[in-house]
Amino acid sequence: MKKMNEQKMDHLLSQYVDGRLSEIEVQKVESFLALDTSARQRVKELRRLKDLLTSKRKLTPDIGFWTRFAVALEEQKKDEHSLLPFPRKFIPAMTVMAAAVVVVVGTLIIQNRMQFIQYFSEKSQAVREVYEKNVLQGQLLPLFSKVDKDRALQFSLFGTLALDDKSKTELRVDEQSKKGYRIEVGKDSKNKAKPMTFDHFLSEVKPTSEQKHLIDSLLELTGRRIESSVLIGENNTMAIAPDLPNLNRMMVTNIAACLEPNQRVQFERLLEANDAPYTVTAQSVPARKGDRIFQNIPQSPRDNRFFIITPDTMMYSQLHIDFDSLRRHMEENVVMFELRREAMLKRMIAKEFQHAPRNVPWPQPVQSFGNEEFFSVEINVPAEEIEQQQMRVIIQPRIRKQILQTASPSHSIQVRAWRDTASEGLTRQSQE
Amino acid sequence: MALPLPGAEWSSKDKPHQIGVRARSFVPSFTKTNNASSMTNDQILPKPSVDVLRKMSDEALITAFQSGDHDVYRFLVERHQERIRNLLFSIFHDSDFIDDLAQEVFIKAYQALPRFRFEASFYTWLYRIAVNKSRDELRKKKLRRFFSFQTLDEGIEQELNMRLSVPPENRDTQELVALGLQTLPEKFRTAVVLKDIDGLSYEEIAEVMQCELGTVKSRISRARSMLRKALKPLLEEVET
Repeated sequence: MKKMNEQKMDHLLSQYVDGRLSEIEVQKVESFLALDTSARQRVKELRRLKDLLTSKRKLTPDIGFWTRFAVALEEQKKDEHSLLPFPRKFIPAMTVMAAAVVVVVGTLIIQNRMQFIQYFSEKSQAVREVYEKNVLQGQLLPLFSKVDKDRALQFSLFGTLALDDKSKTELRVDEQSKKGYRIEVGKDSKNKAKPMTFDHFLSEVKPTSEQKHLIDSLLELTGRRIESSVLIGENNTMAIAPDLPNLNRMMVTNIAACLEPNQRVQFERLLEANDAPYTVTAQSVPARKGDRIFQNIPQSPRDNRFFIITPDTMMYSQLHIDFDSLRRHMEENVVMFELRREAMLKRMIAKEFQHAPRNVPWPQPVQSFGNEEFFSVEINVPAEEIEQQQMRVIIQPRIRKQILQTASPSHSIQVRAWRDTASEGLTRQSQE
Repeated sequence: MALPLPGAEWSSKDKPHQIGVRARSFVPSFTKTNNASSMTNDQILPKPSVDVLRKMSDEALITAFQSGDHDVYRFLVERHQERIRNLLFSIFHDSDFIDDLAQEVFIKAYQALPRFRFEASFYTWLYRIAVNKSRDELRKKKLRRFFSFQTLDEGIEQELNMRLSVPPENRDTQELVALGLQTLPEKFRTAVVLKDIDGLSYEEIAEVMQCELGTVKSRISRARSMLRKALKPLLEEVET
């Protein structure tokens, strides 16, 4: 007993104090205690400690405990009820089921992963094909593509743009009256504009390098706007942005705006000499900064809205087309697009178009036929709408007598396509 | 089901024939059915009064609870709340904190009571829940102390030594004992509290703490040894 270490002695004495030892063990401990003073002291301390712990002060009874607990329990029940869609006792079963479902689904996915990958790749391929087929491969194509600086300048100054070098088909935008516009798509050798190149413009107006750079950017923008403003579709559909007539006046205005007053005089002479439909009136206004000019130019047709003209009807609707991808796709397949566009234009001109337009709340269109050999679409534009579209007046239309004579009292946009293709040998007729 | 507030008496008038009691054994059947017409009159007795329910054993109340009458849980709570609150107070020595903790213990017991198998007495089962809960709380406190770089245990020991250094007549024995308990590691503290304060037997403590009897003995003796050293000046007063 004397050799017992302290921990063992504590253990034994603790048991002794609690009365957990057998009679024999008690006798042994008591005989040891009779001999060992420190052990006796330990027992006394243990008993004192036990007394202190036993007599430890108790908390006063809490009569409100149940009330508070009942509230807490109700809240707990509500929380559980709101969280669990099934009784709480089903939690283990539901957990097991959920785990089983996850394992089964996971196993199936892993086992058939190649099929899943193939399925999703096919889906994405199908989406891409649909897009390419409907948008990129010809449902709607720009009637004009690759509009270079010379052609953009010609369109800006004279409102005329040839479809290509060989064909005689042209896009013509004319100031019909003070506030009205006319767009024509067809052949017209009478009013064929004089060729105008960018170099000729530079030699006449002599802009500084900064101005040249600015005009260069403006013409590039014009080209892009023309490309995205007149579209032709596979199923005899044509889509024209209604703000196209504004484009050439806007561009001439901007070219004039970035020139100094003396250069503007040269520019006015150039316009007059080539019988351009515009005249520069505000010659003393100082040149504007490039960033202010570009802020005024919408980058795409306003609100992506187009007049969509089909043989059956005419709509004013939104068309969301990613012109950048379309342009890239066309650049990759130039020949194919040229052939398809030519065919589409021929088919469209040969098609009979109905008179009555439908589903066009604004602007009120009037579709009319000049005679059997061409179709003409005339769209009225409210005067206030034209006012809103007008730029700051630097450029005024040079109104020609013959146009004034035939000008309609209503403000209108006209789209004319002539059916006189060379293959059909029909006689072209002019509206004038 | 709405739980009755204290003082609210149940009577057969308030809830006629909702709960049937079998006359022979006087153990409530507490069937869930409200269809009294499916029972004969001699099988159904009015619900026992609150006084009767208060006198019923834990086992009878649990049987009633498991039969669907969750209202009887009130009597189990009222019967055991003081013991649980005192146990938690002895372990944590924080009267503000123990009220919430005691509520959590009884909520946990309420959720687990349908699965009670009568293999142990209700109060040891309840103690087990309370001990597990307090163990979780002490772990959380320890974690919080670790992240806030506090050394709370050292602070308690310093406070204990400071209080022990005052003359014996000025000492608050109860406070010193409580502080002494706070210096013990959780498993030793719980063991000695259950033994010396709550008066549980070694076997019951083994059941509550879910460990071997030898482990309980060892923990209690070590806890006492540590406490004896910590409270040495207080215990020596006996001699003086």
